[in-house]
Amino acid sequence: MAERIWNMKEQINFKNVIQTVFRDYLVLAAIALLVIITSIVEPKFLTTGNMTNIMRQFGPLIMVALGMTFVIIGGFIDLSVSGILSLVAVVTISLIEPLGQVGALIVGICLGTFCGYLNSVLILASGAMKQAEALFITYGMSTVYGALALIYSGGRTKQMSLVKANTSIYKTIGTGTVGILSVSFIMFLVCLLLLYIFQNKTYMGRTIYLTGGNKTAAELAGIHIRRSITLIYTISGLMTALGAIVLFSRVTAASPVIGKGYETNAILAVVVGGTTLIGGNGSVLRTVLGTTLVILLSNCLNLLGVSVYMQYMMKGAILVLAIWLDSRKQL
Amino acid sequence: MENTGQDIILSIKNVCKSFPGVKALDQVSLEVRRGTVHGIVGENGAGKSTLMKILSGVYQKDSGTIIFDGEDIKSTTPIQSMKRGLSIIYQELNLVNTMSVGENIFLGRFGEMGGMRGVHAKAKELLKSIGSNIDTYKLVSELSVSEKQMVEIAKALSFDSKLIIMDEPSSSLTADEMKELVKIIHHLKDQGISIIYISHKLDEIFEFCSMVTVMRDGHVIDTKPITEITRAEMIAKMVGRPIENEYPERPDCVGETLMEVRSINTKKLHNISFKLRKGEILGFVGLVGAGRTEIVRAIFGADKVKGHEILIDGKPVKIKNPRDAKKAGIALVPEDRKLQGLVLPFTVESNISMANLDKITRFGFLDSSAERGMAEKHVKALGIKTPSVKTKVRSLSGGNQQKCIVGRWMETNPRILILDEPTRGIDVGAKYEIYLLMKKIAESGGSIILISSELPEVLNMSNRVLTICDGRITGEFDPKTASADQIMEKALEFGRKDLEHERAN
Repeated sequence: MAERIWNMKEQINFKNVIQTVFRDYLVLAAIALLVIITSIVEPKFLTTGNMTNIMRQFGPLIMVALGMTFVIIGGFIDLSVSGILSLVAVVTISLIEPLGQVGALIVGICLGTFCGYLNSVLILASGAMKQAEALFITYGMSTVYGALALIYSGGRTKQMSLVKANTSIYKTIGTGTVGILSVSFIMFLVCLLLLYIFQNKTYMGRTIYLTGGNKTAAELAGIHIRRSITLIYTISGLMTALGAIVLFSRVTAASPVIGKGYETNAILAVVVGGTTLIGGNGSVLRTVLGTTLVILLSNCLNLLGVSVYMQYMMKGAILVLAIWLDSRKQL
Repeated sequence: MENTGQDIILSIKNVCKSFPGVKALDQVSLEVRRGTVHGIVGENGAGKSTLMKILSGVYQKDSGTIIFDGEDIKSTTPIQSMKRGLSIIYQELNLVNTMSVGENIFLGRFGEMGGMRGVHAKAKELLKSIGSNIDTYKLVSELSVSEKQMVEIAKALSFDSKLIIMDEPSSSLTADEMKELVKIIHHLKDQGISIIYISHKLDEIFEFCSMVTVMRDGHVIDTKPITEITRAEMIAKMVGRPIENEYPERPDCVGETLMEVRSINTKKLHNISFKLRKGEILGFVGLVGAGRTEIVRAIFGADKVKGHEILIDGKPVKIKNPRDAKKAGIALVPEDRKLQGLVLPFTVESNISMANLDKITRFGFLDSSAERGMAEKHVKALGIKTPSVKTKVRSLSGGNQQKCIVGRWMETNPRILILDEPTRGIDVGAKYEIYLLMKKIAESGGSIILISSELPEVLNMSNRVLTICDGRITGEFDPKTASADQIMEKALEFGRKDLEHERAN
């Protein structure tokens, strides 16, 4: 039996190399292809205006997707990000007036982090050690957070109050630039750097990979897997809160359903990037590629005049394709 | 050859199979006579299972010919092979746990059998023909491993198999269950069915195979009638070098008490108390499911257990989870290395370091050169055969994988090392190295708890043996003086009483 495994693994290793390379380049190739075709067909694509637009759209999604990456590496999934995003957005925006800019920012970030932490508490308390169980728990929590957002806002879209001071943090995040880079893009670069170091160089980062790789073995080797699970959901909550702030700063308003669709887009970005749903592997860098593809795709399709409904269908098809490639890799 | 054609059920000639980077089978030729049990032995990686997978149609051969029952088989699929009369029973049985016995036997063929009633009637008949009276309406998940195996055999028979391949069928069977299997094998043989029997356990090969083929590194080394080969010759052919002893000399350096376990009680375990001394190898003997693994899991904090006491050096220690156990100096090499021991897609390095991450962490950051050093130290010390420490652990052989887990725990400097089935599914050479390692640990003052289903292993390595039956410790023996029969009698005690009780009712 063992030699069978040996032989199969040899084969897989070989395949893995090819497929990893193939798939990494596939994402890059898809991005390049998209850029080339669209810029030929629609010259508007390459204008500075559109590029800034892309960078701004990139901002909120990448934040959520970076957090989601850790949840998926840890072998779990988080559907609650859409709810958290809406809740954080409406709460923060409404607190700018009474608490001031900084106060609202702190409350918003803490709220998102706490929501993520609460997810992990519920998951651990219910003993849900499987991805599917976590999926339903976080789906339930998404509904709860979404409902809280609706109750809090009374179902109305909150406008960002025009802050009297000339310097507004939110205005800077939303429209500010440093050189050719938007401020939200710089925020993303900082987060990426920190998370990349966290992922590759730290003890906690390693325990997340081990938890995703094999929970039983990790626990028997004395790894605190409950702490890993708490950590991944807390990170996801924190990153979603940052995503919420970037998002409402750009649109200067927050509706209680502003986060709708972010969970699927974030998971799509992570999986298309090549982080496998089975857990134990992947990287925030891959997620950057995945997010780029997702954002470019919707931007290009918009420019080319493809209807939104058609876009939904294409996104769904890409997710299925990515998961199919993913499972091919695990054969 | 021509005149014996009728007697040969399976003839394999010059079969080759390559995988990228490895030649798994090189010019393999083999003949199996009708109505015989043909043993195939060889170390892990010898090519046994690859050959069987080609026969069953999971893989396709690169070249060579296979003639089964007079028919030249060019290419085949698992279903076609089964219909031709060639069935394979894998080590990890392929049954649907949530379906009944009858449904499993005729899976996908309910219509042909005339509905569920026909399925169960025919299944019952088949099981009866191999001397089993399992209720065909029972769910497979409720069966013991040996009963599952019977279901697999019945399934093979339902295809009118002429040749049944058994891939290490005994690795999870207890001695009694093994006797049942032997009976069935003889019975099948009498019906004219040929069997290819793959096993690591040479005793079994000698017990009931008439021919044996030794494989090594993708070659057939030799095929001989069992009467013309000795055990030592067989081992020498398997490993390619003579091995003088299967077991090293027993270490003898038992000191004072190191750990005392007092009254572990759970649903399954009843009043488990024992002492472990310094430098001692303590063997646990019992059937699979007797509670051996549960005892060590309770000690190690892997299962939630309350109300027991563990004293190390006379001082009580609280062990609530594996982390506490690690701190207390206890290490556990678990029963199932693939599911519980290793993170298969990860590197050798990270599998070794995973119990020792705190050692290579400075202010929360991992020191990758320290990690590498740690892994290389153990790869060298334990002789782990791997291209580098960055190799994925899943590509190593069973024995080397096991050594990675041992290395992981050696780094923690454990005072108590618990080995649960440390040599399951690994080859003779690697086994000997594991034994040597145990000896070394004991001689350097460490204590070992050894759980094994292979009685000779426990008897030859332990200083003291505890028999465990039905969640109780039923006896204590000195393996130097006690006989295997005496020990097995105690290990089966409660089971037997239960049986008598049932019969009386």
